[in-house]
Order: sequence, then C-alpha cells, then structure tokens
Amino acid sequence: MASQEKRKVAVTGIGLVTPLGNDAPTTWANLQAGKSGAAPTQSFDASGFSTTFSAEVKGFDPETALLNPKLLKYASRSHRFALAAAAEALADAGIAPTDADSHRWGLAVGAGMMSVGYDDLKVVHDHATDDGVFDPDRLADPEFPANPVNFCRWQSNAGLGLLTKQFGIRGYATSVHTACASGGQAVGSALKAMRRGQCDYMLAGGFDSMINPIGISGFCLLGALSTDNDNPTGASRPFDKTRNGFVLGEGAGFLVLEDWDKAVARGATIYAELAGDGNSLSCFRITDSPPDGNGPIQAIEQALAGAGIDSNEIDYVNAHGTSTQMNDKSECAALKHVFSGRVDEVKVSSTKSSMGHLIAAAGAVEAAVCCLAIRDSIAPLNANYGELDPDCDVNLVLGKPQPGRIRAALSNSLGFGGSNSSLVFRNPEEVNS
Amino acid sequence: MNARDEKIVFTGSGIVCGAGARVEDVWSTLLSGKTSVAPFTRWDGEKWPVKVASEVKENNRTLVPDRKLHKTISRTDMFGIYAAEKAVENSGLLEHREGLDEAETITFNDRTGLIVGSGGGCYASNYDYLPLIHEAKGDLHVFGAELSNQVTPMWLLKNLPNNVLCHVGIRGQFKGTNACITNQCASGIMAVAESASAILNDEADRIIAAGHDAPFEPEMVLYYHKLGLMSGEAPRPFDQNRNGTVFGEGAASVTLEKASEAAARGATILGEFLGWGCCSEATGVLDLDPDGDGVKRAIAQALNDAGLAPADIGMICAHGNGTPASDLSEAIGIRHVFGDDIPPVTGFKWAYGHLIGASGIADVVMTLEALKQKTLPGIATLTSVDEEIGVFPVSREATAPRTDKALVICRGFGGMNVAVIVQA
Repeated sequence: MASQEKRKVAVTGIGLVTPLGNDAPTTWANLQAGKSGAAPTQSFDASGFSTTFSAEVKGFDPETALLNPKLLKYASRSHRFALAAAAEALADAGIAPTDADSHRWGLAVGAGMMSVGYDDLKVVHDHATDDGVFDPDRLADPEFPANPVNFCRWQSNAGLGLLTKQFGIRGYATSVHTACASGGQAVGSALKAMRRGQCDYMLAGGFDSMINPIGISGFCLLGALSTDNDNPTGASRPFDKTRNGFVLGEGAGFLVLEDWDKAVARGATIYAELAGDGNSLSCFRITDSPPDGNGPIQAIEQALAGAGIDSNEIDYVNAHGTSTQMNDKSECAALKHVFSGRVDEVKVSSTKSSMGHLIAAAGAVEAAVCCLAIRDSIAPLNANYGELDPDCDVNLVLGKPQPGRIRAALSNSLGFGGSNSSLVFRNPEEVNS
Repeated sequence: MNARDEKIVFTGSGIVCGAGARVEDVWSTLLSGKTSVAPFTRWDGEKWPVKVASEVKENNRTLVPDRKLHKTISRTDMFGIYAAEKAVENSGLLEHREGLDEAETITFNDRTGLIVGSGGGCYASNYDYLPLIHEAKGDLHVFGAELSNQVTPMWLLKNLPNNVLCHVGIRGQFKGTNACITNQCASGIMAVAESASAILNDEADRIIAAGHDAPFEPEMVLYYHKLGLMSGEAPRPFDQNRNGTVFGEGAASVTLEKASEAAARGATILGEFLGWGCCSEATGVLDLDPDGDGVKRAIAQALNDAGLAPADIGMICAHGNGTPASDLSEAIGIRHVFGDDIPPVTGFKWAYGHLIGASGIADVVMTLEALKQKTLPGIATLTSVDEEIGVFPVSREATAPRTDKALVICRGFGGMNVAVIVQA
C-alpha cells in the first residue's frame, strides 16, 4: 500500500491493572499522589532471595474482575490481569466487537516469556525425578498427575487465545515478545496493522507476571534487580546516581485503538492520537545498552517521522528508565541526541520509579500513562530521585507531578536483547481531523 | 492493500529440520516419499505412548560453529540462528554490504530489518531448577538462598524467547525494524508476512524473516498426547485414517527485499511475495471452528491483498497437521473459497513433522522450491482421502502446479489462521 496520507488512529479506551491500582483511575490517582507500588513480596516466601521485595498487584480478585469465570481455569495470573485490563479498556471506549464488525477488530499483545509455574515444576520434581534428576520414563507413567489445562496456560499465545475468545475478536491477531520492549512493540504492531488497513479497531496491550519463584530467579541470577531490601519504596530510582537495578512489577495495560474518523463520527472521547512508532535493534550486547544511545536514537527518530512531527513538538517523555546503570545512561544519551538544544525543556520521567518494571506489560502501561498525561496536562513524577548523575542530566520531573499542556508525548521501551520501541502520542487538539 | 508500487521478492532462504539442513536435501526427502519421522533418540521411548519424531541430526557445532555462543543459547535458538544466517548467506547481502562505503553501510544496516517467529520457550529448560527444588525440599527460603549455587547465572539469557533476534542482529549488525512473534504455530509464517508488509510500508529496504522451534521434548509430547493431538507414526494429512500429528524441530528463514534493490545489486530472485491474510476464529486456546471459518477468511484476505482470483492459484501447501478436526475444517475452509475448482493440494508435515512455530515458514521455503521445480510433491503417507472431506485434490504422487502462484496455509492455537500467497 502506497500511503501518501497516513491513516489516523485514535486511542479511545484505557484499561490498567498495576501495582498502583487494579484499574486505570486508581493507578493514575496513585501515580499522581506519588505512591509506590513496591513492598516486601507477599505472594510467596521470598526471604531467601537476594531481592525480597517487588511491586505486586494487590487485592486483585479475578472472580469479580472477570466476566467469564469459565475462562479463568485456563488463565495464568498474567492472563487474568490481561482479561481485566482489556475489559476495562473496552468499557471505557464504550465500544466492543459485534457480529457485524468482529472481523475488522484486531488484537496485538506483548506477552511475557514462558515461565512454567513453580507449582507445576514441583509436580515434575515430585513425580518424575530421582535425586533431582529428571527421568522421562516417570513422566510417561500413567500415575503422573498430568494436567493439560495447566499445559495450555504456558503456551506462547494462550493470552491471545483467551482474549480473542472473551471479546469475540475475529480479525488480525498477533503476540510479540521482545523482553522489556514487548508492550511498546505490541502497540506499535497494532498501529502498523491499522495503518495498512488490516483492522478498523484494535485492542493493543501487554501483560506479564514474573513475581514467582522461577520468574524472579532469572533476574536475581543476572543481578538485574535492586537489592535495597530495607527500602523497597525507594529502590526504583531511575537516573539517580546511586541507582542499582530495577524493581520487578507485574500487571497489564490495554488501549482501544480506533480509526480516527470512526471515533469522531460516533462522538467518542479521544485520549490521544497514536501517531507514530519506531522500532530498532541496538545490536550491541544482550543485556547491556549502547552507551552512546545508538539504537534507541533510531527508534525515536522513526517514531517522530511516523508521526509526521518534529522533536520540537514533544513536551513529555515517558522514559524506559529502569533504574539500572546502563539503561538509564544509554537512554539519556539518546534523548540528548534527539532533543539536542531542547533537552532542558522536555519533561522526562520514568513511572517505573513508582510502579516498578512490568516487563512485557511495561510499554503498554506506559503508553496509557502518556495518554492520561496528555488528557490531564500533567507530567507524572520521577520518584525517589536524590543524587545527580552527570550522564543523566535530563529535565526530570522531580518532587511532584508538573502541570503543563502536552502537545505530544514520547514513550520509550528498550528491551533485553536490544529491541527498542518508541511510540509518539499527540494531543487530540493538535490533530487536524 | 492491493495497489502495489513496489514488488517484494525473496532473495535467500535457509532451512534445517529432520529432513535435512539444506533446501535441496529437504526437497529430495519430499520427492523421495520417505518420511524423516522415525523412532526418536533423545531419550528412551520404550515406555512412551509416542515413540517417533523428526529429529534434527546435525550436531550443534555443525550448525553453529561458535563454541562460546552455545553457552548463551538454547536448542531452538541454534536452529534459528543457523537458518537465518543461511538465508543471509544465500542472498549475497553481506558481499553486497562489503562493497559499500562507511556512510552507505550505516544506512544499509539501519534499513535492514529482522523479524523472527519464535516458539517462545520450552518446558525442559526449567528442569535446570529441579536439583535446587530437590535440595530445598519444598522450602522456598532455602530455594532462594541456594539459587546462585545451583543454577547458572546465564539461565534467563539462555531462555529469552527473542534470542535469535538478538544474536542474528548482533552478528550481522541488522539494526532496522524488528519483532519477535510468539504466536505459537503462526509465529514463523507471520514473520514472513509482517516482513513483506514492513518493506511495502517503507519501514525497511530488506528484512530477514526467520522462524524456529524445538517442540520435541518430553512434556510437549506427553501433553499433546493427552490432548489427543499426537499420532504414533508419520502424520497422514487428509487421510481417512489420520490420527494426529508428530513433532519435528528446526527452523527456516527467507530474505525479503524490494524488487528494485534486488535487481540493482543483481541478486538471484527466488520468488515474489504477493499477499497475505490473518485472522482468529475467537475459539480459545485449543478449539477451532469446525466450519473452517478462519481458513476461509484468511485465504479471502490473502487473495484480496494480492489482487488475485481463486483461479489464479496454482497449488496449495496446506497446514495439514494430520489431526482429524484441523484437517477436516481446513478442507471445508478451502472449499468455501475455491468451490469445485480447488488447485492441487499438498502438505509437508508427513515428511518433516510439525515444526510448530517454524512450520509455516518452512512450508513457505519448500513451496518456493516446488514452484521453481514446477513440481508439487505428493503426500506419501496418504492411502485414501477422508470420505467426509469428499473429493479433494491431494495425491500420493507428485503433480504439477497449474500456475506459478501458490497459497500456503498455517493454523495454530488461539484459533489462528494465516494464509500467504507467493509466486516463483
């Protein structure tokens, strides 16, 4: 498709389940109030791990949050967050697939990596090992308590299967995983599918939950998590000189995307235009970020070009800002390059300072935060900041959220493995319909 | 989506599966009628209800010589890296890049994309935690405290679903648009289709698309068996006596480029990408629509995208996984679109098993070869076509495609259906 005029895509619905709240209004209110989602880990005994705290979703009751209890047994914890956040987003948009248009509805999700639950692994251990050594014959024994339902939960597109079924989405559907960039990449994939005419409506988002013994182990082994066990709420301090790792969060975020003209025609409330996405590979190292920002720079520039705007129009950046030494330095180098003389004017914050790192859900949740920031003309706080790092001297939102109209916002997601995703959202008032 | 200024061509391909590690070897297997499905050797299958698979036979260092790299990748990644780098080598892109100056090289790298379809992970990788669980005796405090003494610090890195994307990217410095698609069976074929769309939309000038998976492992075999999806022998797509599928493992890859760029550098053209369709049947994780609704819609979308009529299609490479429900609904879906004028149909899972995340892209690679050879390999395990399917143009023997265009169908969990149309 040779597209001279790019199709405009509106964000008309938002749904969130995060460590700061089990819906979008609660999350947004707690983010503005400067609350932290981090606390000692409650869902299992984490006392022996090098990191004993995390940013868990709290008081989430799947029975009341979900419309279809029958699907629950097939849903892992992250799928349950996804189903609840997606339902909220659709309700917020006031629109849902119908028999007449369900084939024009699409789904793009950033799904967490397959991590078999500790309980399922324990079953393998208890029934199919000798002294901790796996014995395949005992797995094949008719006595082995095989549970195909659990098996279905760990399939890579199980979340996609549950979401399409729950909401009757019958068009294009994709599931992506580029580690910490997954959620942003899913929203970007959705924009691409909309722009090439594959869908008129899309549910786009991400979901993840790695706060379990196996999930948290991978990060502990890598030394990627903050070990400030005596100060969980202050541990995530993106761009601070003393930052020492990220805080693991969990949750889901979903956006309803809609053809702009259709949204206007039905009188929908439009949060923002999803205007551009950029997508690059750093090709540096698997876990390290390029110190000069080479990689993230291309993603940001592509997103601006896709949005058809200049970097001068960006008033707020929701940074990836994981609170690891390398990421934050690399990201700031990229921001300095892209914004050049304006880098002292563009407000920057990482909301991971408040809600932790939601891994595959992070980019989608932060995309939603950008939309809410545009709607309310307020830049969220970069919490827990204390000491200046000369490599990270960007214009951080410190102390409290900063009011001010946002013409356009940029959301960055930079993943393990070097996948970079940038999204540009424009204030609807800036968009000529 | 059908008014196209720019043609998208294939300029390289690579494959590794139980039937071989070169396109010509896999092609020989398809023509020979001899399946690569055989009693498996990874573990002793004597007490197992399923005793066969199509295993990759090449050793690790033959596929990926870099000894150090093996410390940070898993078996599926090894397949993916091998196939992707074969597709790159086969396309001559690196030789072309060597002739560029420094500024041109930077642009070339920034405009070279990489889209990978990944199986997403396996069960057995988690067994690295079993000795720790044993030592901790169910006490999570001990589990946490002893973690770093028992499990490699590289565990997470070895098991990232996007490892092939990372490593092929770093090794080749392909810095452009990228994705890692984890959509179970649909992953690999979607990598091909998304690559073509990305180039058409000018997000890149060329993209390497790869798909890889290693589903053959004990728990996958066990649960597929429990779900009634496994056969004890090479699959028999569309056959009266078909009774399930069998796992293969491996990867496949293609290089896609703007036709104008490929022509300018004098690349060998393997074929052209014409269009695609993709939809969900909204039936949940395992179920599918018995009426083939998604198959029908995916094919119709692909024809529309390519600007073609059903009569233009010269052959169909079906998903044909050999399970009763999938094959029947697939045939119904095909009939919905083609009526009584169905072009010759084949499927390759009888030969190399079901590669799950890599199955669709492997089928694309071998379909391009079939068009080039003007030969449609038969389904060697076919004895008689399922009566419920009715008259259906599958055959044991090789036949000829009726035109130079082929339809490839790929189906997966989540009610996924993807259709791709290629020409060669």
